[in-house]
Amino acid sequence: MLDRSLLPRLPGLRLLTAALASTLLQFSGAAAQPPVAETPYWADEIDKGAMPPAADRIPQEPLVVDLVAKGRTTGVQGGKLRTLVGRSKDIRQMVVYGYARLVGYAPDYTLQPDLLRAVDVEDERKFTLHLRRGHRWSDGAPFTSADFEYWWKYITLNEEITPSGPPEWMIVDGKLGTVTFPDAHTVVFEWDTPNPGFLPLLAQARPPFIYRPAHYLRQFHLDFADPEDLFTLIEQERVKSWAALHNKVDNMYKFDNPDLPTLQPWTNVTGEDQNSRAIFVRNPYFHRIDSEGTQLPYIDTVEMGIVGGGLIAAKANAGEVDLQARGLDFRDVAILKKGEVDGGNYRVNLWANGTASQIAIYPNLNFADPVWREVMRDVRFRRALSLGIDRRMINRALYFGLANEGGMSALPQSPFYDPTDLDAWSTLDLDRANALLDDMGLTDRTPAGLRRLPDGRPMEFVVETAGERQEEENALAIITDTWRELGIRLIMRPLDRDILRNRIYAGLSMAGVWYGWDNGLPRAETDPQYVAPTQQEFFAWPMWGQYYQTMGELGEKPDYPPAERLLQLNWDWAHTDDPAKREGIWNEMLDIHADQQFAIGILNGAPQPVVVSRRLRNVPEEAVWAYDPGAHFGIHRMDEFYFADDPQQAAVE
Amino acid sequence: MMLLRYAVSRIATMLLTLWVVSVLVFVIINLPPGDYLSNQIAELRATGQAEGVAKAEFLRTEYALDRPIWEQYLIWVGFAPGPQGFSGLIQGNFGWSFEFDRPVGEIVGDALWLTVLVNLAAVLFVYLVALPLGVLAAARSETWVDYTAGFVGYLGLATPNFLLALMLFYYGHKYFDLPIGGLMAPQFEGEPMSWAKVKSILVHLIVPTFVIGTSGAAAMMQRLRANMLDELSKPYVETAIAKGMKPSKMLRKYPLRMAFNPFVADIGNLLPAMVSGSVLVSVVLGLQTIGPYLLTALRSQDQFLAGFVLMFVAFLTLVGTMISDMLLVLLDPRIRMGNTRT
Repeated sequence: MLDRSLLPRLPGLRLLTAALASTLLQFSGAAAQPPVAETPYWADEIDKGAMPPAADRIPQEPLVVDLVAKGRTTGVQGGKLRTLVGRSKDIRQMVVYGYARLVGYAPDYTLQPDLLRAVDVEDERKFTLHLRRGHRWSDGAPFTSADFEYWWKYITLNEEITPSGPPEWMIVDGKLGTVTFPDAHTVVFEWDTPNPGFLPLLAQARPPFIYRPAHYLRQFHLDFADPEDLFTLIEQERVKSWAALHNKVDNMYKFDNPDLPTLQPWTNVTGEDQNSRAIFVRNPYFHRIDSEGTQLPYIDTVEMGIVGGGLIAAKANAGEVDLQARGLDFRDVAILKKGEVDGGNYRVNLWANGTASQIAIYPNLNFADPVWREVMRDVRFRRALSLGIDRRMINRALYFGLANEGGMSALPQSPFYDPTDLDAWSTLDLDRANALLDDMGLTDRTPAGLRRLPDGRPMEFVVETAGERQEEENALAIITDTWRELGIRLIMRPLDRDILRNRIYAGLSMAGVWYGWDNGLPRAETDPQYVAPTQQEFFAWPMWGQYYQTMGELGEKPDYPPAERLLQLNWDWAHTDDPAKREGIWNEMLDIHADQQFAIGILNGAPQPVVVSRRLRNVPEEAVWAYDPGAHFGIHRMDEFYFADDPQQAAVE
Repeated sequence: MMLLRYAVSRIATMLLTLWVVSVLVFVIINLPPGDYLSNQIAELRATGQAEGVAKAEFLRTEYALDRPIWEQYLIWVGFAPGPQGFSGLIQGNFGWSFEFDRPVGEIVGDALWLTVLVNLAAVLFVYLVALPLGVLAAARSETWVDYTAGFVGYLGLATPNFLLALMLFYYGHKYFDLPIGGLMAPQFEGEPMSWAKVKSILVHLIVPTFVIGTSGAAAMMQRLRANMLDELSKPYVETAIAKGMKPSKMLRKYPLRMAFNPFVADIGNLLPAMVSGSVLVSVVLGLQTIGPYLLTALRSQDQFLAGFVLMFVAFLTLVGTMISDMLLVLLDPRIRMGNTRT
């Protein structure tokens, strides 16, 4: 019931919901909320008096999750979940998986308050965040607006800790927003003009943590701590300054400091000298409970083993994990399935990848060679390239035909999914592709049958890759054959990821291969910046992106009509709050991409194997595997997964 | 006395070499475009993660990555003051690892003894396998013993280590319940030494030792065999046998000692090989030795960590060659330094 969606913009409705909230306040703890059961895991602490009973640990207004309504089952507390990561710094995945955010995505990708009780939005420029009363950090200290104040005044505005100044997103249309703290449970963010990207930002897999445990961090801050104590600490930790020390302990995302209080479902309790595993135990003060009054998370501890990336599949095969997707590739499916049959006591689910394209080729419209640039800027050339790809064959060869063939467009789970966009210029048609190229006047050929550029050079199209993914190179090898029939020779060049990026930004690279848009699941309220030429990180227009990012200091001004149109649409989107208009804008932008083939997508929804213990419940059979939006397991709410041995229940699933 | 003078001059050249190495290491690490933090920032931007960029920017000024490269070098070694005064290698500050967010000294210290452990086990394995087999192969040359030993040896050389490792893991786990990866069961990590922990480490060492050992053993076996065959064809061997000496005693007393010479010279390589030798295997097997750290550091341009490990390996090489040179001078009367006697 408290799981309300973000308050609508209509003033009348907003009042209504506010009234509803106050009614709930009166009833909270009594009728609206089931009695809270004690947590066996903490029984000793509670007996000793080291920890208050569960009913006093949860906020007065907890988040009550109705699992049955979600199509899940209510579970029991307990158990240890084993999972693996490939590098020691990947223990930060626990923040991603835990996915307790101020506001977070629900499984249908709408935004819902989570840590917050509610958010009031006025004209998308004033955001009033309401905290839950009685909400506490994992060490039992209250979570209040003072924690937001600490972030704003003593971290963001402190020049020693943040020499680069307030984050970019605090500045809208050139003006810095304000943050005020009317009372202990209210925080107000306000800008002069709309900042529609604010809430989605808070729901990211790696959000800006705009709150910090002030009571803990103060001891490392020069404004609060005793300078002498601080100096001893600096010496001890072998860092160079107090700001460096503060930065070292203040790692809400890295999650590597066991002393740093958290609001996530599990807290890190790993000592510093652990190199091969990290242990996370349930946060006794977590704010979610199920409708039967059991505090979440269900699972007591998570053990995250750190092993070489190559061993993850082998260990999963040996049944040494309870939940694993990271580090597993589609090509591991064979060995995983074998383990499943050999009594590995797990099952392998195949989820769909959430990027807009698994593999996409980006012709660099800002390439330094003027002749090539002219050719690539001709939309007929890009369409011909796309028409000359045998997506069916790539899908069959690399993914057993399990991915979706087509160009870069929104995925089926997005409201903007449009099969015409997916199919536009993306079915193999060599005759049509050849006709397009002939039409461009590229009819002159070398003795070997390659087309010649207008200045007489043979068409040798160099595609550079990050050299990390076998599938990219295999796909390009297949494309080489069909492009050869268009009279274009594809030359693949594997580089290191950073070198590739720098070459593209500098205009030295003819074309690059990368994933499609990270977010293949846009909604009307998703910031469309990444589909407009505003970021050099989109390999088709690095210079235009630089121009936008540096406000005209570097790069080139877009001088290509469809790109200019995208830029205009992006501006329009940010300056309207009419959902219908935004939908229109999104649709037009996606149509432009499909029509223009700025990035030549090959397929999407490639299967991601997910190994799930047969004892683990509530894990979806089919879902989208995406970092953002979705935070990998986060959107599926790992705190609702639980262990059960009952075979009947397993059969029901 | 002569030895002492020799040692002093060697130490002087060592310092000079180290200095040259430090310049080379730093330049080479910085050859690829960009540095850890700018790559990090680009990465964060590319994936739309605003948070974290500010932190990276902070580290950049804190560790002087915004200065020209020669200045960075001087600060790193400790010849010039950084943003917080003199604090470089000379002052005992090995720098900061951005990748692991810990002081370099701490990381290296943790990993070092495990590295030594793994490689010692491997060296032991090599000697235990290669010596008897090599001698046997030479003594019974051109027989089935020789051919079998040779075949096994070549197989060890030719099989890629990582492949062997994965195979051993799969079947080892399936049939002998051997653990996959790591150097001890996770619950022992950070625990004080105990009998159970020793046992866990020993069990975990089986596969890595075998994998690292096989290729080394094959190479050494072939070398020993060749050396022995060389010696066996010499007249003194025939003389000894003609005079009625027992072949096994003869073998032990003369040719084997001669054939051993190269192994003493090898001690120089042993020390650095212990650090860098098993990088690939450690990465594949997920061992917490220094190898994976070095590889990650080089890949991600975590320059202080990579720089320190490479410097350390260079230092060990120098110390190792010095030790082996001295030992050779002491052990083998036929070796003399050119300029000291006529």
